[in-house]
Amino acid sequence: MAPQFTLQAPLKLPPHAVTDHLTRLWEHPGEGYNGSATFTLVVWEPAWLEQHLARLGLLQDAVMGMQRPRLVDAARRAIGAYGLPSATAPLSSTLPQVLATQPGDNGSFDDLRGQAIETSISELQPHRMITLAPTIDVEQPLDALVAAYCSLPEDDNSPGGSVCGDVLVFRGGAASIATELDLLPRLIPSQLPCWVLWEGALGEHTDIFERLATAPRRLIVDTALGETEPSLRILAQRIAASQAVSDLNWYRLGGWRESLARAFDAQDRRAALSHVVQVDIDVEGDQLCQGLLLAAWIASRLQWSLHTGRRQRDSSVYRFQRPDGFKVDLRLVSVPVGFPKPHAGSILGLRLLCRPPEGRELCVVLCGEASGCMRLEGGDISSRTLVEEIVPLIDGSLEVQETRVLAGGHDTTNPLLATTAQLAHRMLTAAAASQA
Amino acid sequence: MAATLTNPLRVGLRQERVIPPQCLIIFGASGDLTHRKLIPALFELFLQRRLSSEFAVLGCARRPWTDQVFRQTMAERLQSTVTAHPQAWEQFSQGLFYEPVDLQQSEHLVRLAQRLEQVDRQRATRGERTFYLSVSPAYYGSGARALAGAGLLADRQRSRLVIEKPFGTDYASAQQLNRVVKSCGQENQIFRIDHYLGKETVQNIMVLRFANSIFEPLWNRNHISSVQITAAETVGVEQRASYYEQSGALKDMVQNHLTQMLALTAMEPPGRFEPESIRNEKAKVLQAARLASPEQPWTCCVRGQYGSGGTAEHPLASYRHEPGVAPDSTTETYVAIKLFIDNWRWQGVPFYLRTGKHLAKRLSEVALTFRDAPVRLFDAAAGGVSANQFVIRIQPDEGATFRFEVKAPGSGMRSRPISMDFSYDESFGEPSDEGYVRLLADTMLGDPTLFTRSDEVEAAWRLYTPILEALKQSPDKFPAHPYEAGTWGPAESDELLARDGLLWRRP
Repeated sequence: MAPQFTLQAPLKLPPHAVTDHLTRLWEHPGEGYNGSATFTLVVWEPAWLEQHLARLGLLQDAVMGMQRPRLVDAARRAIGAYGLPSATAPLSSTLPQVLATQPGDNGSFDDLRGQAIETSISELQPHRMITLAPTIDVEQPLDALVAAYCSLPEDDNSPGGSVCGDVLVFRGGAASIATELDLLPRLIPSQLPCWVLWEGALGEHTDIFERLATAPRRLIVDTALGETEPSLRILAQRIAASQAVSDLNWYRLGGWRESLARAFDAQDRRAALSHVVQVDIDVEGDQLCQGLLLAAWIASRLQWSLHTGRRQRDSSVYRFQRPDGFKVDLRLVSVPVGFPKPHAGSILGLRLLCRPPEGRELCVVLCGEASGCMRLEGGDISSRTLVEEIVPLIDGSLEVQETRVLAGGHDTTNPLLATTAQLAHRMLTAAAASQA
Repeated sequence: MAATLTNPLRVGLRQERVIPPQCLIIFGASGDLTHRKLIPALFELFLQRRLSSEFAVLGCARRPWTDQVFRQTMAERLQSTVTAHPQAWEQFSQGLFYEPVDLQQSEHLVRLAQRLEQVDRQRATRGERTFYLSVSPAYYGSGARALAGAGLLADRQRSRLVIEKPFGTDYASAQQLNRVVKSCGQENQIFRIDHYLGKETVQNIMVLRFANSIFEPLWNRNHISSVQITAAETVGVEQRASYYEQSGALKDMVQNHLTQMLALTAMEPPGRFEPESIRNEKAKVLQAARLASPEQPWTCCVRGQYGSGGTAEHPLASYRHEPGVAPDSTTETYVAIKLFIDNWRWQGVPFYLRTGKHLAKRLSEVALTFRDAPVRLFDAAAGGVSANQFVIRIQPDEGATFRFEVKAPGSGMRSRPISMDFSYDESFGEPSDEGYVRLLADTMLGDPTLFTRSDEVEAAWRLYTPILEALKQSPDKFPAHPYEAGTWGPAESDELLARDGLLWRRP
């Protein structure tokens, strides 16, 4: 979907003048205009990769803070140009860290973060969108940009024109943003739900994160954007603290979960789920969040309890116990690939082996649409019933997933994600402890 | 049927659309439908996390209840559900509110509008409102007028009106009601609910037909010889005598549920899967449908009324002995009708519709019988060679069966029929939702695909107008033939098919 820009040219203001300006903006009694009674969305939008690519002249567009195909293409070019391993995922946290060390300045670039709004989000008519846009120039003083918008009426009888919102952008070095964070509570109406969308890596700028992501604000994070450990730890902590959290990486697992469930929908296979003996999951690279979430989801749905975790060179092995006391081995393997998907740690394939006490072994192999999984197809399959499925790529950008969360707002975490994230974190901790 | 294991990996996997924040306003909130269907359906949506946290139900009725009484009453009536999910109910019930409202009192509507503003603020429901008229059909028109008069339907995008069946009592009254309702809001704001369309298997008729290339080439007069659509109930009139005496089986079941199944079975493929395309095709096929003999409808329509029956242990009272039924009632509890559809696809193919109470079995199905093979090469192992049949089972044991001939084992070349069976229960790892869950969700999402448009309603009434008029003008030609409770209806109904050399299915 094409991004929608604010209808009004943003007004640049000193940060301390924003609150008064907004109060005046909506004080027009009798004219029938009012701020929409929907929700507030606060976005931490560092877009480090986009900014560095623009700085180095590898991205000719304005910086918009959106994960668009042109950004991914530019990132792939940068991976080649700066000699990074071809297995580097374009949107991984590694690339901007490397680019940050590269000299070069292609001159100034347009920064439209917070002003280019995904149509599907603007259609939800947010009451207020506040974008915190830290710049790569850490010394840059803070600017505040304010713009109001009203949805255009479809015809003369439509009431659309009376529903309005505003867009605020605080742009500057992260330190200057942190200094002005005290402004935020006054800008977030307490009677409306508020979402905090953290589009950066978890574990980065933790001071700002802690101050922004306070309950009852609802949190949207993406555990694919940072390192495995802080991402899962923070996710699990927030859930344990009863905060409503959505993880966009969890949504990306939708196709895998659906395909695995479908393999066991047939009535004659359902009983085999009680007799799983081995699970293998291959993931791209060494960002393990998605793989651990998938593994933990399977384990929790099948009521397995975690016994041990062991980290090896390119894999982790976990031992679970089924409700009937039998042991299950689950192996998570990092596989380098030549053309990785945009997000780090994407699932490549899954194999699940069931050994019912009577009857043939059942082997379910799921392969990603864009990748083969020959490694998982190996072994002695002649004595097994083999079910193979291709898992389609999840359609939809990050913004589409965000819209899904915002459109159907919940003030609690999805119980499936809650259980899964806690177990995934425990698995990671168990494997790390074995190394120590 | 044996209970089947559910698939634990299925839980929470439905890629369903989440209902945006909104307030559902139920008029008639103290009535049966609210606690039997609506609140359970909403609670199920809540358990499935398909309701946003910014959600509210405002119950409205004349009784002077408070929010607390409404919550308590619903909790008592849904006791087993509440006991199974106490925490979830606690959370859900915080979104239940109540306002005493008589839609005929203008000051009540002023108060209602204020209360809605208050609920909007309290629950952040964003001004999205769905008004559900769960009141006597006599108040549909005046209720819609009252809401429109109070400006509550003015926002075309964010306010919707749901109307239960029956929508009118005949063609003229349906037209009149449509005129009233359309003067109160746009067609896209009006949701005429027919809970049969909420059934997974009814929707599956479309998927079977239009997602598979094997059926559509056969789905026409060249290959199908007849179609039977059945909705049989084993229960009698129960507590609904006062309503049923006025409606009878024709208005209660045929004009809406069976006609919707007919439309889905016979419609042309829509150009796109979007509401208006589908509703256009349904309306077109209903406009092309006619009674087999509109001039003499009694020759193509059989009415019946159940007499006593059952067993010594479980005797069943006759309809006329049911509480609230007139001792000389001529209301039909059974109807069988023969129809034709005058279009290229179905010209000459008879469609037989039947429904009744206290029949031998509870079932709803669509059965398509294919033409005989042009040359009979093989003898049948038993009796005659049976025609191929495709049966879509709406309820119970939802699924589909295809019956065809195969070689009977042995040295000869004799054929016998076998069935290829698809069962929802066996194929999918989770049970289907109750119809109201789907329909309420679609209403609140503003998706009208499964709701009946005004021209469909009118076409359906027009189809049966010759019967209704003949009933008024020549009731003696339309007796309600008695049948024993617990059987498959009156003998006259069998004769209707026997004249065409056919038999009703006895599944």
